Amino acid sequence: MYDYKLRGRVFIGVIVVAMGLLSLRLAQLQLIQTDNYTVESETNALQERRVLPARGAIYDRAGRVLVNNEPSYTITITPRNFDRANIPLLADLLEIPDSVVSARFTELRRYSAFQSGKAFRDVPEDVFSRVAENFYRLPGVGYDRDFRRRYHTEATAAHVLGYVREITDNELVRLGGEGYRQGDLIGKSGLESGYESRLRGRLGSEIKIVNVHGLEVKSWQDGAFDNAPKNGYDIHLGLDSDLQALAESLFVGKRGGAVALDVNSGDILALVSMPDYEPDVFTESMDPATWNNLVTSPEKPLYNRATMNRLAPGSTWKPFMALMALQEGKITPTEHIYCPGYHRLGGPNVFRDMHVHGSIAMEEAIEQSCNTFFFELMMRTDVEVFSKYAHMFGFGQRVSADIGEQGAGLIPDSAYFNQRFPGWGPGFTINLGVGQGDMGVTPLQLARYVAAVANRGMLYTPHLVTRMVHQETGETLYPKIPAPEKLPIDEAHFDVVREGMKRVMEAGTGKWIQIPGIPSGGKTGTAQASHGRKDDSVFILFAPYDNPQIAVAVQVENAGFGAVAAGPIGSLMAEQYLTGSISSSPERQSILRSVLAVQSELLYKEDDEHGEADGESAESEPGDDA
Amino acid sequence: MRIWYRNLDYLTIFAWAFLVAIGLVAIYSTTNGPSAEYLLESVRNNFWRQLTWVAISLGAGLACLFLPVHFFQRIAWVAYLGTLILLAVALLYGREVNGARSWLHIGGLSLQVSEVAKVGAVLAGAQLISTMRPNSSRVKYAVFLLGVFLTPMALILLQNDAGTALVFFAVAPIALFWSIWPAGMSIVMAATGVAGYFSVVHLPTAIAFSVLFTLLVLWQARERLYGVMAAVFSFGSIVAVLFALNKIFRPHQVARILSFTNPGAEEFRSGVGFHLVQSKAAIGSGGLAGKGFMEGTQTQGAYVPEQSTDFVFSIIGEEWGFIGSMVVISMFALLLVRAIRMGIHIKHPFGSMAAVGIAGIFLVHVFVNIGMVVGLLPVIGIPLPFVSYGGSAMLANTVLLAILLNLHMRRDDFPIYVY
Repeated sequence: MYDYKLRGRVFIGVIVVAMGLLSLRLAQLQLIQTDNYTVESETNALQERRVLPARGAIYDRAGRVLVNNEPSYTITITPRNFDRANIPLLADLLEIPDSVVSARFTELRRYSAFQSGKAFRDVPEDVFSRVAENFYRLPGVGYDRDFRRRYHTEATAAHVLGYVREITDNELVRLGGEGYRQGDLIGKSGLESGYESRLRGRLGSEIKIVNVHGLEVKSWQDGAFDNAPKNGYDIHLGLDSDLQALAESLFVGKRGGAVALDVNSGDILALVSMPDYEPDVFTESMDPATWNNLVTSPEKPLYNRATMNRLAPGSTWKPFMALMALQEGKITPTEHIYCPGYHRLGGPNVFRDMHVHGSIAMEEAIEQSCNTFFFELMMRTDVEVFSKYAHMFGFGQRVSADIGEQGAGLIPDSAYFNQRFPGWGPGFTINLGVGQGDMGVTPLQLARYVAAVANRGMLYTPHLVTRMVHQETGETLYPKIPAPEKLPIDEAHFDVVREGMKRVMEAGTGKWIQIPGIPSGGKTGTAQASHGRKDDSVFILFAPYDNPQIAVAVQVENAGFGAVAAGPIGSLMAEQYLTGSISSSPERQSILRSVLAVQSELLYKEDDEHGEADGESAESEPGDDA
Repeated sequence: MRIWYRNLDYLTIFAWAFLVAIGLVAIYSTTNGPSAEYLLESVRNNFWRQLTWVAISLGAGLACLFLPVHFFQRIAWVAYLGTLILLAVALLYGREVNGARSWLHIGGLSLQVSEVAKVGAVLAGAQLISTMRPNSSRVKYAVFLLGVFLTPMALILLQNDAGTALVFFAVAPIALFWSIWPAGMSIVMAATGVAGYFSVVHLPTAIAFSVLFTLLVLWQARERLYGVMAAVFSFGSIVAVLFALNKIFRPHQVARILSFTNPGAEEFRSGVGFHLVQSKAAIGSGGLAGKGFMEGTQTQGAYVPEQSTDFVFSIIGEEWGFIGSMVVISMFALLLVRAIRMGIHIKHPFGSMAAVGIAGIFLVHVFVNIGMVVGLLPVIGIPLPFVSYGGSAMLANTVLLAILLNLHMRRDDFPIYVY
């Protein structure tokens, strides 16, 4: 019959050849070219996902939390698993119209049906828990836990802390290499910006297996190649949040800045700039009107007056003049100068004094704030010497520490006058003797100078951050703060000036604002403001007199005499810091009431803004040698 | 009385069980792995459905083992006729799955009629040949035999199930080779296939092959006629392929056929080449030992479309590597070789013919399926027997195998009288 054997052999041969071909092909794919295909499958299925570290918190000098993170809930929808019939239910739970949910759902589905999309951000906690209770009947609805900044104390400290906001496209281009992505938060000003890299920590990464729809399936190799994120450092400040809160409350209705320093370290105890803003508004998605208002308000709430304002110091400049003249030998502590009520250079109506002081020596001249006396000291001093001493105290330059936005102020020298007023003479510089004319200082610079006077010549660098502690490892970093400098001025001269300042507080303009039971040294100043507005009120103070702890400088714009607005603020701040509270005595309470009633003269949109205009132009002017 | 299961071929049963188990493991990996939660509800139960179908198939297979041989001879034409009717019904009233209208709903089960049709066709083919007398016209029977396979093929093509149709088309020459054709003719047919394949992959190779083959036949064969036939068939297949590609098929069909030669190319990668790019990445990245059970990134990420049905081999390649792949290939080789050996042992034309038809069907399925998954052949949608997810194929293939085992086991029950 049929020769099945032969045909069988042929057929078996065909089978062997067919299976052999497949085997060879498999060997080619799986043994020879396996590396190529491994790369192909990995680029396919492995995706590196970022793991965000927890942003560092910020603490005050007593260890109280100023800022940390709080969870914020975002309701997500996975369109593919979501049932449209549930739209009314979800809308009900979220207390928003059906149409909003429906529109959001359509939007997300257009983007991806499989990916869960952030549908409703920053859902309030009570609303979130209500939705969460109903997850079981809302398939496709889930949530993401994000973080937002939370501010804890009464102190706003907006200009110290700064704020975080969603990263902008420009920053993304600039910082893309550091792992920032769309939607990340980034510090925009203040410490949040200056210490961004420390606060943020180091990004972690996870390698996930994602499926064909881009959804995470599981960790790759059980996370063997994952990098845990390194959380940010917690930042500890020298700031006293009670003092900060008090100072902010005293500034209500005023414009200006105040800085309080620890005399013996340069720690910034308080730094106030008013008007300010709530850093909170930046943590939520802000409506354009709010942002517009912040940016275009004539009062410029974003502008840091404490570190950028360039105001004339007025009479608070006189202790500086005294120190310079004594050290330069232009006068001795006992030399008397006659004050007829004006300086002879311009006659009775040009360089005037408030009173006729008669023959007057250094300490009394400070106490009485005799203009004639300090006009004369300036007449005896070359403007180059003036400039040198001013720079010695840190004026006319920025402080090289951790305060981001700063102005340099303006301290003129002869080059400045040559350029600005060719053919200038003593009439152009004599005003500098009383802290007026072509000069400007910031509250921060003033405070630093007062601290140096208080401690007899040690010039500390004001700084906010005292240390940074890592949340997990406890590793502590200290900021690089330039070492204090001993000013080349005889300590005996400081004693004279300090005595004068003590007399100001005991018998002079500061008498009514003495800190009860604590001797101190201070000086008020009343500086002419531009545009014919009310005078700027300035005050400097250090206390206690014998063992100074705190130095304060206060500027209140367009608020009148130094003793009226700035003085009480400075005095109350020092009291708060030294005693922990404001005395309930009738005198102190009346001071408190009176200073709360003081207001800065209102600005109007059409006006040229005073402090800010100066501050902004300071950048390019010759007095700026920072 | 002889023990009825004395001649049962246990090696074949072993290979069957092994392959079914491998298939279940692969399907389990896709449906119960870490990615399960992203699957559609209907897909998540694939493993349990397949297990149910294995049980049903096992029952049907066992039932077939107990039937006498003459039962199959007697019902052959009835089964064939029923098959044609079912195909026609499916064509008219069937449900469409993946573009093919070859599914019938019977009760709660959906049945892919084109798979089941293989049983009827094989039995009818065997019955036809076993009635052929020595003095019958060979040409007439050859035409009948072709008709037996090509009629259901035509209906299946109309159902738009090209893959299954190809199986019928390819089994026809195998049946002819086993029964009617001289052995030399089958070499010519094989050469035709090779020439056709290379005219898709690399035309110069196809031409060179045809020239060499024709010269070889002219030099070796005693009759000139063979040389002429060699030339006509090999060059004819090149011309036919080129004509089909350029004149008959529409561009998207041509792209689908050609894409396997370079699936990663820009124009194919995300379209017709996507299956192959992903499948090759899965298999190639498996390496020697594989990534491990439920560890395949391609599998768990569901990158390979149809990964539990037609592309099930990509799971084995990825998670069990070259070793796993070779185990599967070896099991199929074992199964096929045993089937042929049974075909030789049975001796009776009906049984022998049935055995070879069954072996041919399996061979085509295995070679075309794995060849497709590894990128040797164009993407043609047919399942891998016993391994792929799919109840109808599991049932049909198991029944075919059980019939073969039965015919072999009861081979002595065939009438001794041989024409």
